[in-house]
Amino acid sequence: MKNKTVQWFCYTGSFLALLLGIGVLSLCVGSAGIPVKDVLSILFDKQGLSVQHSILMDVRLPRIILGIAVGGSLSLAGVILQGLFRNPLVEPYTLGVSGGAALGVALSILLGLHHWMGWTLPLFGFTGALGVIGLLYMLNARRGIVRLQGLLLNGVMLSFIASSLVMLILSLSRAEDAHGIIFWIMGGLDEPQWSVIRVAILGGITALAVSFCFVRDLNAISLGEEEAKHLGINVEKTKRVLFLMTAFLTGLSVSVSGMIGFVGLVVPHAVRMIVGSDYRLLLPSAFLGGGAFLVFCDMLARILIMPQELPVGVMTGILGGSFFIYALSRLENG
Amino acid sequence: MRIRILCLSAAIFFGISLGASRAGSLRIISLGPALTESVFTLGVSDQLVGVTTYCTKPVQAQEKDKVGAAVEFNVEKVLTLNPTLVLATSLSDPKSVAKLQSLGINVEVFPAARSFNQLCEEFLRLAALIGEQEKAETILTKVRAEVEDIRGKTSVLPKPSVVVQAGANPLWVVPQDYFINDFIEYAGGENIIPAGNGHFSREKILGLNPDVIIITTMGIVGDEEKQKWEQYRSINAVKNRRIYIVDSDKFCSPTPEGFVETLKETVKLLHPEYEE
Repeated sequence: MKNKTVQWFCYTGSFLALLLGIGVLSLCVGSAGIPVKDVLSILFDKQGLSVQHSILMDVRLPRIILGIAVGGSLSLAGVILQGLFRNPLVEPYTLGVSGGAALGVALSILLGLHHWMGWTLPLFGFTGALGVIGLLYMLNARRGIVRLQGLLLNGVMLSFIASSLVMLILSLSRAEDAHGIIFWIMGGLDEPQWSVIRVAILGGITALAVSFCFVRDLNAISLGEEEAKHLGINVEKTKRVLFLMTAFLTGLSVSVSGMIGFVGLVVPHAVRMIVGSDYRLLLPSAFLGGGAFLVFCDMLARILIMPQELPVGVMTGILGGSFFIYALSRLENG
Repeated sequence: MRIRILCLSAAIFFGISLGASRAGSLRIISLGPALTESVFTLGVSDQLVGVTTYCTKPVQAQEKDKVGAAVEFNVEKVLTLNPTLVLATSLSDPKSVAKLQSLGINVEVFPAARSFNQLCEEFLRLAALIGEQEKAETILTKVRAEVEDIRGKTSVLPKPSVVVQAGANPLWVVPQDYFINDFIEYAGGENIIPAGNGHFSREKILGLNPDVIIITTMGIVGDEEKQKWEQYRSINAVKNRRIYIVDSDKFCSPTPEGFVETLKETVKLLHPEYEE
């Protein structure tokens, strides 16, 4: 037992260090060309009025924090869902929640509601995600029992329906609106409002805490549902709570930052290769690792073709995919 | 020694007052090719400190600092250039625009004009922001006179029915409430696509039997589309070989002066018999 605690602190500590390191690195580089040795003095500049201070605190820092929140949330959702379904291909977007969010955003742009204020798009995105979650739950929960295979299939179908509806809206809308929808779908971390970022990071951390209460259940379920029942786990309650929570978490991330693919699929696998399949170690490591991965990708997206920026989803796809193929081939050969 | 200090302080004083007198000048960043062109037209290009990679006209614009492409632009880069006025388009990333505004930077968004009149109004608005209204008025008076002249001369000519295709797969034709419609109408043609979103099937367009089809270049797709239309020998545009391919830049992001140039070219397409 004591051995496990040491291991826990070891892994969580190293992932935390990795996240902090990448965060600091990301704060230091960018197209503004602020010398690394000046960063500290600019940060603690008491007047705080210089352009450089503003670039560090108002442009780079919010992106890093949102990157941690979204990357951590998606990766956490991925690792939980893969465990629940005992299926390595499941990721947060498989359940159609992101499709629902995209549909909500597309509708609000088509109806011209997005001019109200900055909160409208995230709110509509979240409402769309909630709609899909509700529908999925209604379709697959009978008398409190959630049928997981049905959930997965229906999720995939709902995701197709939602993306077809988004296509329909795209074809019906004016060129400028269509542009806005595509832009949102591409995703990105440059959220202008601190309040939205705060909600995202609080949501992520809360979900991490809640899911950590279920680590024993998750460990048991990974042996199989029947085995978990024999071990005295309330499997149905665990499935219900965790499904709803991951769906909320995905909806929240997608509605804030658009579709950033691959984080929720690749990071859980990578973390599993490193720490093993014990959920006590997996959950915090996946959260921290996901945050670090997304912040790193966003940093590359910002600096690779300066002064232009790449969509961060491009970076997560290319980096995540190629890393994964590499790791898998190494694993098979070794 | 005292005299030296006196001289020095006098020099500093003059330096400061010189600086103050030039404080009226702006530091402008333009996020749209047409806006950049307008800034040059208004003669304040020395106050322009940043443009996008798509701002290629006039040639001097290419020497300015780049802050990004048409849609994505780099907030950091914009901030380092310390602008007093940022000119954005409706294509500019709304989140980045909101970010700049929240940092207290004056960002003016110029939506895509839907008509020639709106184009003129936006040109005036830009001029007012820069403080060059008079110059803008002079330019607009001249441009409007030219446009009216062309409209007067073409209005007596027979009106060919026109379809402007600006997108393929899905087929997209310009409806009457879009900007390009004014080129057709002022040049003495009739745009037969009603106001709306412009998604029409090929069948429907063939049924309308246009006299002229204008295709705005979409890379190599333009020629392909022309060949597709040419298979339908029954419509007037094919019978009379009146399918034209035009430069989409001229049609889609014009300035008031550019409008007149493109209008003249459109007149030549619609009325080959017309003489200036």
